[in-house]
Amino acid sequence: MHDVAIVGAGPAGMAGALQLARAGLSVVVIDEQARAGGQIFRRPPEEFGVRHGQYRPYGWARDLIEDFEEHPLIETRFRQTVFGILRDPEGQISLAVSDGQRGTRIKARRVLLATGAYDMPVAFPGWTLPGVMTAGAVQSLLKSQKLLAGRQIVVAGSHPIQLILAAQLLEAGADLAAIALARDLPGFLEMARTLPAIPGNVSIFTEALRAMAVIARHRVPLLRRTLISAVEQTGEGPLRISLRKVDAQWRPVGTAREFEADVLALGYGFTPSTELARQAGCALSWHSAGGGWTVQHDDNFRTGVQEIFVAGEQTGVAGAGRAHAEGLVAGQAIAHSLGVGADPLEVNRAQALLKSSERFAGVMQTMFEPNRTALADLSHHSATVICRCEEITSGQLEDALTCNPFLTSASAAKLECRTGMGVCQGRYCEGTVAARIAMHHNTQIAQAGHFNAHLPVKPVPLGAYGDLDH
Amino acid sequence: MANFHRLPVARGRPVRFTFEGAPVDSFAGETLATALLAAQVGAFGHTREGNPRLPFCNMGTCFDCAVQVDGRGLVRACLTDVVEGMVVNMQEIK
Amino acid sequence: MTAHFDTIIIGGGLLGCATAWMIAREGGRVLLLERDQINQHASGSNAGSLHFQLEYRMIEGGLDKARKAAEAMPLHLDAAELWADLPRLTAEPIVVKQTGGLMIAETADQVRLLEQKTEIERAWGLDNRMIDRAGIERIAPYLSDRVIAAAHCTTEGKADARTAGPAFARAALAAGAHIRTRSEVRALSRRGRGWSVVAGSDESPQTLQADTVVIAAGVWTTRMGQMMGADLPTIPLALMMTVTQRMAPLIGHLVQHAGGRLSLKQALDGNILIGGGWPARLLRDAEGTPDFDAKPQLEASSLAGNARIAMGVLPRLAGVPALRSWVGTTTITPDQLPLVGPVPGCPGAFVATGGSAFTLGPSFAQALAALVAGRQPLTDLRSFDPARYAKG
Ligand SMILES: Cc1cc2nc3c(=O)[nH]c(=O)nc-3n(C[C@H](O)[C@H](O)[C@H](O)COP(=O)(O)OP(=O)(O)OC[C@H]3O[C@@H](n4cnc5c(N)ncnc54)[C@H](O)[C@@H]3O)c2cc1C
Ligand SMILES: Cc1cc2nc3c(=O)[nH]c(=O)nc-3n(C[C@H](O)[C@H](O)[C@H](O)COP(=O)(O)OP(=O)(O)OC[C@H]3O[C@@H](n4cnc5c(N)ncnc54)[C@H](O)[C@@H]3O)c2cc1C
Repeated sequence: MHDVAIVGAGPAGMAGALQLARAGLSVVVIDEQARAGGQIFRRPPEEFGVRHGQYRPYGWARDLIEDFEEHPLIETRFRQTVFGILRDPEGQISLAVSDGQRGTRIKARRVLLATGAYDMPVAFPGWTLPGVMTAGAVQSLLKSQKLLAGRQIVVAGSHPIQLILAAQLLEAGADLAAIALARDLPGFLEMARTLPAIPGNVSIFTEALRAMAVIARHRVPLLRRTLISAVEQTGEGPLRISLRKVDAQWRPVGTAREFEADVLALGYGFTPSTELARQAGCALSWHSAGGGWTVQHDDNFRTGVQEIFVAGEQTGVAGAGRAHAEGLVAGQAIAHSLGVGADPLEVNRAQALLKSSERFAGVMQTMFEPNRTALADLSHHSATVICRCEEITSGQLEDALTCNPFLTSASAAKLECRTGMGVCQGRYCEGTVAARIAMHHNTQIAQAGHFNAHLPVKPVPLGAYGDLDH
Repeated sequence: MANFHRLPVARGRPVRFTFEGAPVDSFAGETLATALLAAQVGAFGHTREGNPRLPFCNMGTCFDCAVQVDGRGLVRACLTDVVEGMVVNMQEIK
Repeated sequence: MTAHFDTIIIGGGLLGCATAWMIAREGGRVLLLERDQINQHASGSNAGSLHFQLEYRMIEGGLDKARKAAEAMPLHLDAAELWADLPRLTAEPIVVKQTGGLMIAETADQVRLLEQKTEIERAWGLDNRMIDRAGIERIAPYLSDRVIAAAHCTTEGKADARTAGPAFARAALAAGAHIRTRSEVRALSRRGRGWSVVAGSDESPQTLQADTVVIAAGVWTTRMGQMMGADLPTIPLALMMTVTQRMAPLIGHLVQHAGGRLSLKQALDGNILIGGGWPARLLRDAEGTPDFDAKPQLEASSLAGNARIAMGVLPRLAGVPALRSWVGTTTITPDQLPLVGPVPGCPGAFVATGGSAFTLGPSFAQALAALVAGRQPLTDLRSFDPARYAKG
């Protein structure tokens, strides 16, 4: 039995683990990736002969990773998936964990969920074609596998990270056919002006400004107020990517322009990975600017399930600095709940970090909130696939909504037309389904609710179940 | 054709495995997703309706990269390292 | 919409929706009130097995109990006929496959139990026959060779629990019924010769009138009874189910086990459904009162136990990815017979619940439709009278 089990070794999980280990508590950290770092600090594998990757502009990352990897009280289990949270008849909580073949349970007095976020999916005609990828996929292949996705690439999105990605790709030798941003550039410049008001924040935004210079130097067409509308491909030929001018509400104006590329990298924002929290019974709340459904928690980052705490992107997507700060505070709160007080200096430092990151995150979130209705409307052609796994189209969903006028929630739609019942467990269609239901019934997205999450939150072989009572 | 290619950096020792019966050359430390993409494999698998799929998220959530490894189904290529002699096939049914 | 109806149905599971359809197609003005969405509780989370032979839970307690449970056989026989006809009658794409069910045995004791059980069932008119190992190899070669015999009931099978409830709801709408979701019934009282029903949200409750009311509230039945001052005893049962990734067609039957909790079948989409009555844990308050509004918790022992018994009879399942394990809550009764009939002491109020009420939903609905219309139901309901416990 461990004092604390942490899911996720990103900035939030690592920061939490260190706080707990320094308080003398035994910690186990489980992550399905090969190494610590999380999504933002994905590193090349050990076999490539380097310990660290490129963490700019997060100066603290290197130390955090080294301290985490070297602390004797932190046990790590990489390449293992936490597929559920269980409670014994006696009330003891445990994580169900699988290495892809067998299953096991890890018992702990407290659990910290630091599972991060994934790129927000956007369904439009052609988004399932090979070569259409998330920005995160293109970026992580580059950062950690040193694989360049495509010679000719189009980057489309609305998040400042798109600019950073574009610069990274250019520096790696890619040829960018276009960068399409759904917003106007002044949004970014305004952002720059607010920065000095937020002291001490080296951020993805300063990095975005640096990236702009790289983009300008390479003379890549930077299309503003331009949204993806469709992708087509004939045979093995290149992707033909249609980009459309939009107004301030992201509504199409004018005709589409077509670009050819091998790869399309999409980044319209992030969706918090809340499925373990949902499965365990933690309540969620709707926070569109924070990425959609986020996990409810108190000031100590404790959820409604008393042993379970959350930190990082699941509380609202707010970047690495914020995730790091939340990890520190949650770690201290967990230690405190187990009767171990933290060094007051450390507590002050963590609270100060939390406070400054909060202001920055607030500005970021409101400025870069995706226009969910406009994005969901990209799937309005009835043949557009909305559920990648079960290949359910928006036409099938609309038919179900029309034939079943009593059907007004995302989970009822899932049951009726199988959207979200496939192997990704609904992660890639939930947002589109809820937004389409809201459009259909002229209500708010939050009213359509979210899918329920079940064990296993990621599929595991049935054989892994057979081990769970040992 | 998606045109994925390795950047010239130091990699691990050579590792050879098979995909759909054909040999694939890769390097230790690479994921199956990287190795197959670099080999310009056009599809890791097909959906029930026969549509080809390549990795979409590369972070373990979308399952579009799932393959069969040594007989085990639904293995995410983006989270699995290449191993000498590994037998990789497309999923029977998605 | 008028605020007066012939019948108000409380609950939008399979039973409520099927009853609304049956009443509406006879011309009754009917309103269905569902506090959540249609088909989100037991009816949308069950295994979809069409059980006509006695199930494991009915035989595990010995032959006397099995004989008692067999008194519900007339309802099962009705259901077997009704399900086959429902797609045509409702003009809705309800998926029903009656390709046969096997209750399998791995030991000589289990074989003997099956022999005795099929004898009881045949006496009630159910066609359920023993087949030996050779028979199994012929019709169910997918089963492990540990299986030595089985009871084969050709009318058993499955229906799609995912879509059957809404299909009945659509048929009810087409026949003129009204359906209101997100409409909780908060109070029920006798008013003149009919019933007054308060429903809706806390902020804007609405009072509706009806000549008759039907309680189709599943696990909330006992609570609805309390609202009306009637004793409707049920035993809540939280259960778990697992579905796997899709596979090529493999399992053609509904498979159950004579020596343990197992139901195994392949859905039309290719996914394998695994269940059989493995318990989940109901959340309870300090006094031990279960909270039906909270999701029951999965038990590690059930996840493991259900997987093991399934892998035991079909070893290749061990490598098949599990996609979801979910929980649902249903009702059984102390004597394993359903409650179907008038609510004791409440004229004009009727109820049905208990047991495999997905299978039996259409039979219950048919009986309820007759009762609200003041007709004698086709099947003798005396054994299922909700007043039987009070009578002692
Ligand atoms: C591709 C990508 C690029 C980003 N780039 C930036 C950027 O440049 N700047 C910025 O500020 N933010 C960026 N973000 C946002 C980023 O998520 C956060 O800033 C930061 O990484 C969040 O830290 P975290 O600790 O909350 O989660 P993460 O760093 O995402 O860590 C979560 C970890 O949990 C693991 N995990 C999740 N579920 C399970 C499970 N069930 N079992 C086992 N392990 C599990 C994951 O493998 C992952 O390693 C990016 C996000 C993504 C997805
Ligand atoms: C996991 C599992 C597996 C099962 N497997 C099978 C099987 O294979 N075969 C089989 O035949 N049976 C099976 N059953 C049993 C079967 O599911 C139930 O008997 C059947 O679905 C009951 O249907 P119902 O419509 O009566 O109840 P439900 O489907 O539970 O519907 C009751 C409805 O009443 C509503 N309600 C409650 N109170 C109020 C109120 N105050 N106001 C308004 N609405 C209200 C609820 O919201 C709910 O929607 C299984 C059950 C479970 C849980």
